Amino acid sequence: MSVYQVAGLTVSIGGRQVVAGIDFSLEAGECVALVGASGSGKSQSCLAPFGISAGIAGGSAKLLGSELVGASEATRRGLRGRHVGFIFQQPMTALTPHLTIGRQLAEAWTQAGAAKPSHRALVEALGRVELPRAEELLDQYPHRLSGGQRQRVMIAAAIAHRPKLLVADEPTTALDAPLRRDVLALLSRLRREEGLALLLVSHDLAAVAEHADRTIVLNEGHMVGPEHPYTLALRAASPRLSDPAPDLPSPGGSLLQVSGVRVEFPRPGWRRGRFLAVDGASLDLAEGEGLALVGGSGSGKSTLARAIARLGPMQAGNVTFRGEPLPSRNAIRPQQRRFIQPVFQDPVASLDPKWQVADIIAEPLRHLTPDRDVRIEALLDEVGLGPEYASRRPAELSGGQAQRVAIARALVCDPQILLLDEATSALDVLVAGRILDLLAELQHRRRLAILFISHDLAVARRLCHRIAVMEEGRIVEEGPAEAIISAPRHPSTQRLVAATH
Amino acid sequence: MRALLLRRLATALPTLAIVLILSFLLMRLAPGGPFDGERPLDPATRAALTSAYGLDQPLPTQIAIYVGRIARGDFGPSLVYRDFTVTDLVAQGLPVSLTLGALAMLLALALGLGIGLLAAGRAGSRTDHALMLAMTLLTALPTFVTGPLLVLVFALLLGVLPVSGLESPRYLVLPVVALALPVAGAIAKLARAGLAEVLTQDHIRTARARGLAPWRVLVVHALRPALVPVASYAGPAAAGLLTGAVVIETVFALPGLGRYFVQGALNRDYPLVLAVVTIYAALIILFNLFADLLYGWLDPRARG
Amino acid sequence: MKLPLAFLALIAVAALIGPALLPWSYDSIDWNAVRVAPLSPGHFFGTDSVGRDLLARTLTGTRITLAVAIAAASVSLLIGVAWGAIAGWTGGRIDEAMMRFVDALYALPFMFVVILLMVVFGRSILLVFVGIGAVEWLTMARVVRGQVITLKARPFILAAEAAGAPPSAIMIRHLLPNVAGVALAYLLLTVPQVVMIESFLSFLGLGVQEPLTSLGILVKEGADDMDIAPHALLLPGGVLVALLVSLTLIGERLRDRFSG
Repeated sequence: MSVYQVAGLTVSIGGRQVVAGIDFSLEAGECVALVGASGSGKSQSCLAPFGISAGIAGGSAKLLGSELVGASEATRRGLRGRHVGFIFQQPMTALTPHLTIGRQLAEAWTQAGAAKPSHRALVEALGRVELPRAEELLDQYPHRLSGGQRQRVMIAAAIAHRPKLLVADEPTTALDAPLRRDVLALLSRLRREEGLALLLVSHDLAAVAEHADRTIVLNEGHMVGPEHPYTLALRAASPRLSDPAPDLPSPGGSLLQVSGVRVEFPRPGWRRGRFLAVDGASLDLAEGEGLALVGGSGSGKSTLARAIARLGPMQAGNVTFRGEPLPSRNAIRPQQRRFIQPVFQDPVASLDPKWQVADIIAEPLRHLTPDRDVRIEALLDEVGLGPEYASRRPAELSGGQAQRVAIARALVCDPQILLLDEATSALDVLVAGRILDLLAELQHRRRLAILFISHDLAVARRLCHRIAVMEEGRIVEEGPAEAIISAPRHPSTQRLVAATH
Repeated sequence: MRALLLRRLATALPTLAIVLILSFLLMRLAPGGPFDGERPLDPATRAALTSAYGLDQPLPTQIAIYVGRIARGDFGPSLVYRDFTVTDLVAQGLPVSLTLGALAMLLALALGLGIGLLAAGRAGSRTDHALMLAMTLLTALPTFVTGPLLVLVFALLLGVLPVSGLESPRYLVLPVVALALPVAGAIAKLARAGLAEVLTQDHIRTARARGLAPWRVLVVHALRPALVPVASYAGPAAAGLLTGAVVIETVFALPGLGRYFVQGALNRDYPLVLAVVTIYAALIILFNLFADLLYGWLDPRARG
Repeated sequence: MKLPLAFLALIAVAALIGPALLPWSYDSIDWNAVRVAPLSPGHFFGTDSVGRDLLARTLTGTRITLAVAIAAASVSLLIGVAWGAIAGWTGGRIDEAMMRFVDALYALPFMFVVILLMVVFGRSILLVFVGIGAVEWLTMARVVRGQVITLKARPFILAAEAAGAPPSAIMIRHLLPNVAGVALAYLLLTVPQVVMIESFLSFLGLGVQEPLTSLGILVKEGADDMDIAPHALLLPGGVLVALLVSLTLIGERLRDRFSG
């Protein structure tokens, strides 16, 4: 008998069908991956049958022979508690904030009716998910733990009651690259050791491919085959380190020189000293050249880039553009800001919700130029949007469209450098792929220099000649992209390369 | 936790000092002193009175004298109730006001939390909407409307409870209810909104996924974070009860501090008004401290 | 939302034009009809203990109460938005100091501060609303500050800076329009607070002075007489409660819409 068997599964939310007819079965020790872009129905199809999402399931989903679809909440609750463990995407919020780790783990331990665990048993449970210093963690509250630690606690809790089925809904999406690999490896190991059936949901086809026995690709609620154009697009969307080196324009003369940048922030509170976010960073950039600043969260890459663009504080250091020193953030004149324009991570938050697209794009123009409307239309066209978008408001745009508008705004005063601050990482895989294509096109056509901030080496490489790796506010390694990727020297770079597919 | 408390104390004490100094200065700036009665006093009597009350000293000295006295629990003589010291009046009035306020707070908490939980448990239903509308009505009903209304219904029409005065605990029933109702309404709305928000959060899904019984999810995982907004209302609630008590004591003729305050204000009795404001400020500050302790328990992230 | 709005409009219009249409003014005395019941000829709401028409007094009282409330709420809007926006925008220690000041004021017993002001500076209607406005801005300041801090962290503010907009332009073109909705909601929620305080002061004899009237005074007069003439309490009390409930419901709806 299969651990979990799904036949003709449908899910509807508020009367609208979001999943149409999915079939698969899952045996003990097996892993099935459900992959798709956001809105493909992948999470709904794995959560709805268990009654823990807004969706209502139809068709059939049998857990160890018991039908879940149409069962009462009490029945489903019993089945969930006894046989299934769940891991969710958001490790920061998925644990109850006011209960200690030990308390929550003990609750998971007893959920299927087991006796209260001993302190030792709990320590061992944390050991199984490779969490060191388990003794101390048991008495901690979740907010004291890092994202990676919390996700391991979630996993420990999900398997504490010895379930038969483990459902992992995007378990690694919110984690840094090196952690992603570790967590997936941990799940694979537990599956083998405990004979768990694993249902893995992800948007990253390549990342799960090596762990799953079978992969099901979902497109708008329908299963599609491995050769379907959507599957191929999904596969091609995320750049890989194994891809051939991209075709980049050849750099011209020197454009930007940055040396000895230091940025400090006061710690919160009255007398807590200061915190060094960027520590003596230097770099230079030539016309048409792409430079990637890569590092984990908190490495100071965004802070450095904002200091250079005069959009953030800078306590020491020099920035010269075409040989002229650039005035400080407070002294800079609007005209001097034109040469470097930013595009940020969150496309929707990058646009003032009260403004129309045309006004957003024209903001840097300041004075009403007579050809304003013509220029706006030309820019919309350049970023792949029709003229009808000019009168829309940000709320009426999708993430990808909003990011195109943000790019158009950055281009309106013909900058020489684009500052791309994780400009594709908040977007859905397919959309992110298309935005990267657009940026590559612009890079060629306009001979734009690009300062690309990313946590993802493979994405950075698409547009960049050189890569600078940052850690704790310092640039620890810098060099040509291909050299960094094929022969990383610094341990931090080596970890990043190893974690990237 | 201790750091949080110390930090709060560090704001609370200066606040109290500011209250003292400001209210004292305000009263000194007042055009017309307490002796500007209908019958002008002869200059000699006036001078004697002024020097007896220290009103001829330079301001900083007056403030210093005043603060020093208060620290010893001496609020000076009342200017209007000539035979009493302010401390006497406070000693008479404060216990009545505190009893009234504490009982009203308990009633408001019990009613508010009960109704808030009930409504959140049926979020979106007719019961929920009806209850929340009723709670809005409660918060919008001024105590000086509910007080007389309650008297009209329960004392005058039904005759089951006394109209006014304070001869036995039965006399406290109507005042406590009238005082508690608006606070109960506010607490119910906050609890309902807090719970509704917490129930949509990720950790609730985790708890539900674990197969826990609904009541366990509610009580163990949802209740504490949901009460954070209620705790942050503790300060304003205390202030609301104190001000409400002023009216309630007037309406029901209770010998509490609030009535002295109104009399003092109408008669420009500086020492009395200052004493009441100081005591009320201290009470509210105390309540805010208590709320901070409660925060720490409700949400460990606030422990800093 | 429709019902409270209709109520509010009805009350406001009646208070605005009603007194002009009645044969009695708020202080004229009908010696032939002292303390008559509602629906008496010529006195739709009846009269009070000295023969003044209750409808005329209720309408005038509503007008005064509303005028004080709107004026005071506007004062609180001005101070609150300015204070909150400056604190939120400046950030750092200045923000911390400004908000500590607000915290400290929060710990003051509001009503007593207003009463102190009334006692010190005499009982003028101007002072009533300036005084109330001056202590009711705290919530507005906190809300606006929170909103400004959230907005300030949005990249569109940085994008505007990159576009060359000076801080003043960012404030006026980006921040304030985005704060306006929430500020309006809290303005509407401040109005009932102020109505409550005004009525409360008048009830204690510290607010509006006779023979001019307000809803608070009418309720007090009604309460004094309620055993013989309950309508004198119920009619102005009903108007007061309807006003407060409508304003609260509308304000809460707007708050939920804009601060989500």
